[in-house]
Amino acid sequence: MAVVKINYSNCIGCKKCYDLCPMDVFTWDEEEKRPVVSYEEECWMCGICWMDCPKRTIDIRLPASNW
Amino acid sequence: MALDKIADKVIDTDLLVVGGGTGGCPMAAKAAEQGLKVTIVEKSNTKRSGNVGHGIDTYGIFAHGISVIDAVRLWQKKDMQGVNGPGRWVNSNIDYVLFKQGFWALDELERLGVPMKWDNGKYYWTPHLLRAPGVKAGLRVHWQNVKPIMTKMVKDRGVEILNRVMVLDLLTKNNRVTGATAVNTRTGEFIVIKAKAVALAAGFLCRCFEPETPTSYKYKFRYHYCPASISGDGFAIAYRAGAKLANMDINAWGFRIRDDATISFGNFPNNDGTPSKVFNWKGEEPPSYYYTKIAGYDEAEHIGMAPFYQSLNHLTDDYQKRLELNYNDEWLLAFKTAEDRKFNPRTHWWEFGKNKPLQFMMPQGVATDEHFRSSVDGLYAVGDNAAGVGGAYGACISGLVVGDTVSSYISEHGEPDIDEAQVESQKQKALAPLAVEDGAEFMDVECAIRYICERYVGNMRSEGMMREGVRRLNTLRREFANKIEAKNPHYLMRAHEVRNIMDLAELHIHACLNRKETRGGFVRVDYPEMDPAWNQKVTLQRMENGKSVLEIGEMPDLKQEYIDAEEGEK
Repeated sequence: MAVVKINYSNCIGCKKCYDLCPMDVFTWDEEEKRPVVSYEEECWMCGICWMDCPKRTIDIRLPASNW
Repeated sequence: MALDKIADKVIDTDLLVVGGGTGGCPMAAKAAEQGLKVTIVEKSNTKRSGNVGHGIDTYGIFAHGISVIDAVRLWQKKDMQGVNGPGRWVNSNIDYVLFKQGFWALDELERLGVPMKWDNGKYYWTPHLLRAPGVKAGLRVHWQNVKPIMTKMVKDRGVEILNRVMVLDLLTKNNRVTGATAVNTRTGEFIVIKAKAVALAAGFLCRCFEPETPTSYKYKFRYHYCPASISGDGFAIAYRAGAKLANMDINAWGFRIRDDATISFGNFPNNDGTPSKVFNWKGEEPPSYYYTKIAGYDEAEHIGMAPFYQSLNHLTDDYQKRLELNYNDEWLLAFKTAEDRKFNPRTHWWEFGKNKPLQFMMPQGVATDEHFRSSVDGLYAVGDNAAGVGGAYGACISGLVVGDTVSSYISEHGEPDIDEAQVESQKQKALAPLAVEDGAEFMDVECAIRYICERYVGNMRSEGMMREGVRRLNTLRREFANKIEAKNPHYLMRAHEVRNIMDLAELHIHACLNRKETRGGFVRVDYPEMDPAWNQKVTLQRMENGKSVLEIGEMPDLKQEYIDAEEGEK
């Protein structure tokens, strides 16, 4: 169960999450033109990608250990 | 060898600002308005970096309804001494400047386009922070809107921003700062920045301690207190460049907050002055000793009184609404997580628990004068990086003060003289983790440091435990400091953060060993009394010729000229 989850069917490849994440959790897949959650364990659940995504296509959930 | 042969990129600037947060951005804008070439180096992205990137709870403190001198004295007595015990913990002249320039800073921010006013177009003053009757010293701001605006503010003034770049070390020659070396955390590009002055605005340190929510095995950056990516880079690079750091023995402490994961905790006892209620599991209100003193909670657990909860159930609807705005201003995900967990802040209780060490923020950091100049020529420190400055207010004000005054230093000093051998040696250290094979993961080493700081130093300190901690830290350094592997530039950043955390943990543990007394929140179980020899004294640490030097010094008292100036105004 991922803490950071991108629903790619709505993703428009605007790079906002990749540009803004303070923890550098995302990398950019140039071939697919979409962000990839590459350092998920470094997410600290600030919610910036969740809020700044124009399509609200990223979900952030608390992990079980923080529940 | 020419610099451009050593580095992938060479930047020549007047003022290098390390960290593009609430201190760095206003400083950069102000300095650029003076005609300076200004470069911000930011580890993430100035649009959403730093303590207010995602919002924060409050903007205090101001001398609102009180004289500046009274505010300085009250702040020292109620807050600094209230937490840390008797003494002069910070440079009183810094407090004077923060209170004196607070309203100027607000006006400046408004002029620069950063909204400090509330929805009704007025400043939203709240009681509390000076804890004096009738004094409204706190200010509510919608912080979550601020960073994108600050980024536009600096860009409009021609400031160069290097996002995703980490400063690794400062360059110095004859105790003058000449620039810094840095690395791009996505491309691995090695960058040399020549600068006539450098200002550190890179935030505090908390990653030598565990996060408050105790059970995480994987998400080890999820701290409650402000951003997690706070590895004390500003402290560490200043220290290695020979600048004095103050109070690294006096870590802040607080409760482990089990339910902060739902609604951020920072707000509710504070911002509008109405206290929450505390209950134990039976619904009784326990004596405050058990939840406000370091030893209290342990005792409460041993006699079966724990856990404790905080409750807002008794507050009026109007107050609840204002608090809900506070939660939202502090943490974007507050209500989403509450909904996910079916947690209603109006009716549910928050569990909070054991006291634990949290962070180095307010009295800790680079020792500066009231112009925020460190002991290294041309090196400034603002916001949480400066000892005696903290929070969003401290960052904004100190940043603006430096931005306003730094041009006179820069105009009096010529081009920086870069020591190329120093650049070479820093480059070798900088890129070394990329070549490590079969090494340690950064987080594994970081957790080992956190464990040492929690278990062998912690809140209840003693000689034997700390000696064992030093032994373990030395072993850790010997075996792993050069074996943290970085598979890519992202992990190179993390490896260097761990290097910084390790240096600062070492300072912390040695400073704690040296202070053989108990004072305020600093507890030595083997020396339970206050030692008069430490009255008015603080710990100062710096690096000299590669060796750590610890001195016991004094923080300056308020200058007579400032007192006279205020008397004159009356």
